[in-house]
Amino acid sequence: MSTAGICPEWDLIIKDEWRGVWIFVETFDGEVNEASLQLLNPGRMIADKIKAKLVGVMLGHNIRHLVREPIYYGADEVIYVDDPALSTYTPEVYAETLISLVRKYKPEIILAAGTLRGREMIPYVANILRAGITADCTDFDVDVNTRDLIMIRPPFGATLLAHIRAPERRPQLSTVRPNVFKLPSRDVSRRGELIEEKVDVPPPRIKLISSEEVKVEEVPIEKAEIIVSGGRGLGSPEGFKLLEKLAELVGGVVAGSRKAVDAGWIPHERQVGQTGKSVKASLYIAVGISGAAQHLFGIREAGIVVAINNDPEAPIFENADYGIVADYREAVPALIEEITNRRSR
Amino acid sequence: MSLNIVVAVKWVPNTQVVNIDPKTGTLIREGIPSIINPHDLNAVELALQLKERYGGTVTAISMAPTSARAGLEFIIGMGVDRAILVTDRVFAGADTLATSYTLSKAIERLKPFDILVFGQETIDSSTAHIGAQTASWLRIPYIYYVTDVEYLNGVVKVKRKLEKRIEVYELPIPCLLVVAMKSNEPRSVKLSYKLKAKMENCIEIWTNNELGLTRECIGLRGSPTRVEKSIATPSVPRKKQKFDGQDVKTAVKWLVDKLVEEGLKIV
Repeated sequence: MSTAGICPEWDLIIKDEWRGVWIFVETFDGEVNEASLQLLNPGRMIADKIKAKLVGVMLGHNIRHLVREPIYYGADEVIYVDDPALSTYTPEVYAETLISLVRKYKPEIILAAGTLRGREMIPYVANILRAGITADCTDFDVDVNTRDLIMIRPPFGATLLAHIRAPERRPQLSTVRPNVFKLPSRDVSRRGELIEEKVDVPPPRIKLISSEEVKVEEVPIEKAEIIVSGGRGLGSPEGFKLLEKLAELVGGVVAGSRKAVDAGWIPHERQVGQTGKSVKASLYIAVGISGAAQHLFGIREAGIVVAINNDPEAPIFENADYGIVADYREAVPALIEEITNRRSR
Repeated sequence: MSLNIVVAVKWVPNTQVVNIDPKTGTLIREGIPSIINPHDLNAVELALQLKERYGGTVTAISMAPTSARAGLEFIIGMGVDRAILVTDRVFAGADTLATSYTLSKAIERLKPFDILVFGQETIDSSTAHIGAQTASWLRIPYIYYVTDVEYLNGVVKVKRKLEKRIEVYELPIPCLLVVAMKSNEPRSVKLSYKLKAKMENCIEIWTNNELGLTRECIGLRGSPTRVEKSIATPSVPRKKQKFDGQDVKTAVKWLVDKLVEEGLKIV
């Protein structure tokens, strides 16, 4: 590798020393996070293509009963640290512990779930290693010659997918939102090596004072069967009241596009799309949503897609099963009335 | 007790008014106004609240083209004391690592700072990388998704919200806080403050002449990631049936018929 012209802040690396595909598997709440296990799916594909080991990496305290799980879902090996100093999560302590393991084993690729804590700690890990990182990838490929990970994500607003590489640096890091990949099947007969590592966990500079579980009452959108979703075309938060009426009538829940979230009309937990959630509803009604690639990504697993939009040119119509060109202020009440009438017949 | 608070903001295209060209599938950029990233306004609001409660100064910093001056005037209009525009052609093309490097080198010039405040993510790229990366360059403790902050004797006590938990942490100063989206109501601009921005030169321009950063560490050259190419999104096959007609009542009848045919139990 040429080292000419490298930033003096970056440590020199020999790319060929870096081998293996790591999945960082979260155990923060005393259980293995399913979003992490889903990454064994693309991880297996990548590892097979470049003939590398697929390794699950776990950090925590009292996690020994969990460490076989990544093997059951497809990992060849698990490296874990079980230490009382990891009993409470703080981003810096977890990141520094993971960095110690990375420096020792030199994996070429690290994938992590884009949970709130993953999104908090993984960019720090990447930066300390002066490594390339991408967020919210929706797919991966790998160049078998250079062993470059091809990180695929839709850039903002566009209907194109960007292919991103970090050709000069190792490891290559990516975060992936939950439910982008399907969970591989669990096979408890699978065997693999378990490696317990001892790491000098750095003392925490920040202190967890309390951590309280909060009840989430509404049906999360990723589990809903019917979703009525609103976008910028609603024009105001009041528009969502109308969508709620329709959702309630058909036994569904309300969700929204990125633009509706940025406008403050609906909370981020209910955002559909690449930077929000992927949904699997059997019926998805998109109201006032133009249909940017980032949004369409979130509904690729949805059953029937209905579009209501007053712009006949909106890309959503090309990506829906049934479309009505109309002002939603007329169409949604008319739809509510039609459904109500048919039920009373 | 007086806090030196620094808030970082990004100048972004206003995605609320961006449209996609249905023919080419690309962004229509012409005439799109830029704005301060709305989630950064939550950071500005929190910084100003801290100043009001505990005393001190708030300095805003942004790495952006010179047009971002208008955004910084807006923030001074909210009550920020001083703003720094980090701008130079050599910073262009930076990925999140190079951006956070440049930003952290600029922030180092504001030492001794007590609390750095960042927005959760931007509306144009939403990586949420820059807070954690800046903390890593500066080697200071940090925490994301902050909703409430108290300060006492060098200790910053924050409340933050995760998927299913509410947590309270204590951080020493200096530290970096990433404010949760929509966690407060950003105040409106006061004309008198905004006039002050015009009159008193509250906005400083820092180029790489001031920062003196090595070219290999900034811009495209300081960025490990490369956008290689963009390809069309593979689309999911859909039926693409559009109701042909103007009457909304007929349209919804057609739609309900179709949904019933699909076996959906909505009526």
